[in-house]
Amino acid sequence: MAASEPSRYLARSLPRAIVPAARSQGLCWRRHASDQAAAKPSALSDLESDGLLKGTTTPVEAAKSFDPVARARARKTQLPRSRYQFRSPKYDRGPLHPHRPPPPSDPSSRLFVPGPFSLSRVDQTHESTIASDILTLCYVHNPPGFKPPPKAPRLRTWDDSSPYHKNRSLRGPRGGDVLRLLRKPITFNNIPKLERITIHSYVKNAAKENSGWLHVAGMALQAISNVKVTTYRSKTSVAKWYISPGRDAVAAKAELHGEDMEHFFGKLLDIVMPRLKDWPGVKGTSGDSSGNITFGLEPEQVALFPEIEVNYDMYPPQMIPGCHITLHTTAKTDKDARLLLSAMGVPFYGKLVD
Amino acid sequence: MSLHTTLRRTAASPIISQGTTATTFICTQCRHATLLRRPKRPYTFTQLITLSDGSTFTHRTTSPLPVYRSTRDTRNSLMWNPTSNKLRNMEDDEAGRLAAFRAKFGRNWDATAPAAEEGVEGEKEKEEARKAAAKEAEEEEDNLLDLISSFGQEEAESGKKKK
Repeated sequence: MAASEPSRYLARSLPRAIVPAARSQGLCWRRHASDQAAAKPSALSDLESDGLLKGTTTPVEAAKSFDPVARARARKTQLPRSRYQFRSPKYDRGPLHPHRPPPPSDPSSRLFVPGPFSLSRVDQTHESTIASDILTLCYVHNPPGFKPPPKAPRLRTWDDSSPYHKNRSLRGPRGGDVLRLLRKPITFNNIPKLERITIHSYVKNAAKENSGWLHVAGMALQAISNVKVTTYRSKTSVAKWYISPGRDAVAAKAELHGEDMEHFFGKLLDIVMPRLKDWPGVKGTSGDSSGNITFGLEPEQVALFPEIEVNYDMYPPQMIPGCHITLHTTAKTDKDARLLLSAMGVPFYGKLVD
Repeated sequence: MSLHTTLRRTAASPIISQGTTATTFICTQCRHATLLRRPKRPYTFTQLITLSDGSTFTHRTTSPLPVYRSTRDTRNSLMWNPTSNKLRNMEDDEAGRLAAFRAKFGRNWDATAPAAEEGVEGEKEKEEARKAAAKEAEEEEDNLLDLISSFGQEEAESGKKKK
């Protein structure tokens, strides 16, 4: 009993490889993973004892054949991206959907427009000279302790002469329903500047003849403005031109913001305006009394833009459109807008209506 | 959120001649997926614009021309330079034909324009002054050149004489 016990403990304590198998291999026809592992050579035999000290030797053929530049050139298709990149969802499915598209200012957004890439001349001029000039010209000195006289409220209340006046909404100003913009005194943080430019072209022949007129107008406007145009259908009926409301696309419009706007304005001012034949300037009465000035250009004047001039043959000569150019400024009155634009160099003529 | 408006005509067939067809607006709120269209922009190039006085600036444009030289711009048009005397009576004399004519036949033929005459006379005086200045400068230069050229020669001559 005592002699047989230690042999059992010994067999258990010794590594399995040393101890002979209890059962003979021949008898066993079942394979065990543990048996296979025991038969394999040890994992330690793969290790090199002097790997680091020796240094590696590259075969000469491998070194000669190694040419990453040629390999990259020979590659026909692009390699996959190395890292995960976020792709915005194609559709906006509303604020409650789990996958929301990123905001348009995010470079991964589908609506992202890079830029601005340049500091335009118009912007630099505005920053360096025009802004301070306007600030000086619009300065109104008030002595300390000055209180402006109280103004009447812009919307009038009803006199309670009738019981039906109770809870009525306020009345508009006297002499018209239009509530003009409130002009605040111009200080350093509300100096008027150019906000956007709209180029609009009404092509009356687009309804009567073919749509080619509108296509050419759109191409011309796009060439002028660096902006893709949008077309609009007529809202009114003009029987003489065979235009009916809602049916015919008759107008093309390009809306310029930021860099495009400044480049266009600089081009218009420095190159195109001086070349207009017998052009007196922008009419002094133009403007919508809230700081937006509009003027028109004839087809032959639009053709003077350098972009149209450079390949004039591309456009059918009678199809080059005229256009209305609206300069939207952040000024609240036409007077301020005109001050800004004339400081920038737009000539005005005739009676100035502010 | 967008309001989907359905327009339902009460009349089965819209008869335009009647003018007033009663319409009922049925507004049901629904939220379809909105396709986010990628903004399309035309390709733009950077163009250098050279104004007529030689000043330049760059801008982005659809025109593929790298350099645009303008012959007529704010720098040489009267509307932007109302005080410029030079632009007020500007005449196109690029080939110099008018100048040649004046040199041959004098200026009596356009003596009828008194306003232009003054400017022209002023120009003439200026030209004369300029010519005189140029002559003086030339003479001075000649004198200096004589000095320089004669300096070495005199020495050489004296050396020869010494020998």
